[in-house]
Amino acid sequence: MKHLQLTEDLLERASIYAVSAMSEGERKDYARHLEEDDCTLCRTEVLELQAAMHALAFDIPQSSPSPAVKMRLMAQAEVSASMRGLQYRTPSRGFEWLAWLISAAATAALVGVLFLNSNLRNRVESLSARLAELETQLVGQRTTLAALTSPRFRVVNLAGLGTVPQAGARIFWNETERRWLCYVSELPPVSNDKTYQLWFVPQNGAAVSANVFNTNPDGSATFEIPVPADIGALKATAVTTEPAGGLPQPSGSFVLFGAL
Amino acid sequence: MSVEDRTDQENIELIRRMALKDAQALEAFYDRYNRLVFSLVLRIIRVREDAEDVVVDVFWQTWQQAARYDSSRGRPVAWLLTIARTRAIDGMRSSNRKASHASTSDQLEDHHLPAGQRGNPDPGILADTRQAVRDALTRLPDQQRIPLEMAYFDGMTHTEIAESLNQPLGTMKDRIRAGMSHLRKQLKAYI
Repeated sequence: MKHLQLTEDLLERASIYAVSAMSEGERKDYARHLEEDDCTLCRTEVLELQAAMHALAFDIPQSSPSPAVKMRLMAQAEVSASMRGLQYRTPSRGFEWLAWLISAAATAALVGVLFLNSNLRNRVESLSARLAELETQLVGQRTTLAALTSPRFRVVNLAGLGTVPQAGARIFWNETERRWLCYVSELPPVSNDKTYQLWFVPQNGAAVSANVFNTNPDGSATFEIPVPADIGALKATAVTTEPAGGLPQPSGSFVLFGAL
Repeated sequence: MSVEDRTDQENIELIRRMALKDAQALEAFYDRYNRLVFSLVLRIIRVREDAEDVVVDVFWQTWQQAARYDSSRGRPVAWLLTIARTRAIDGMRSSNRKASHASTSDQLEDHHLPAGQRGNPDPGILADTRQAVRDALTRLPDQQRIPLEMAYFDGMTHTEIAESLNQPLGTMKDRIRAGMSHLRKQLKAYI
């Protein structure tokens, strides 16, 4: 039934329909009224209310999609446009196979584009992970650079002993903040039942455990440790091989040593 | 001819060219409104990757249905936003990601700010339109704005909204109607 005048009830129904808040049954009935009854009055009301409702979208904090979104869309559109051009060409008799061939090629191109999209997303994810890894490395390198260039740092070299004469280590000692930044090189990793243990060797008293560690397959290790405030003056530092977990006092063979 | 009318004419011309499968027209249309559409879809879907997939679908649908666009049935931006909202609500329902209003997502922090104090707008939207929208929303009482937002962004029915806000259904219908009437009155010249 076409309406000739908007009543309060009709205004309410138009509002609720416009903002899509009707239940499914109500929505179907009202949509049928708009279309089949061709009720211009209600339809005009709904269109104006729908336009006003979209004001809510204009007030959302704005964000941009990634550039890949546009690339995906435009790749699809280009293929679609090229396929449409092909559909309008009428092949002469005897050349239908050519049309099929071109159509198949266009379909293959579309499949290729979709495949490319998937690869593109994977590539973006892979690059994001790589970027995070590089950022971590960059932070580490900046710390090293700061240690190398800061006058507050004292550098201590440790030489390889016994069976590992090629091994070495360098400690950047921040005396102000009482921290050691340690870089070990060419020290072969030990098996799981053993560990390397770094020691503070005070001028007076017994050695104090500084850290337990193992090296990477390439013989390197990097770590940062605090220097205890109550340890007093140090005369040396050393690395020994100990049982896994380390010991309170050194018991194994010395592999690195440096005087302070 | 007002600035809004001129923008409409430009958009209608882009849609006409899209109907002829002019990819440059689609690109221009995308450049104008991708932020507006993405922001709306993200607000509804709440997951960035899913929202980007929906944005492709939305503009792809405008490309496919451009020939069926009828300017007598609404302005181009309203047509585009109707497609975007419908797609986003469908996507939200199918992925069962209907989030609660207490979402902790960073992307939604601004949702709880009072109207008129939100983030930077899309530069593709005319400045006076933005201002008119903000003024209208600022003057909209919360008891009318909140039900509208629950329907618009979360796809909730009037019954669900009434239950959620613990209000009688009749009251909720009145508030939706009053809120819509306010927005239409304030924004008729702009949207």
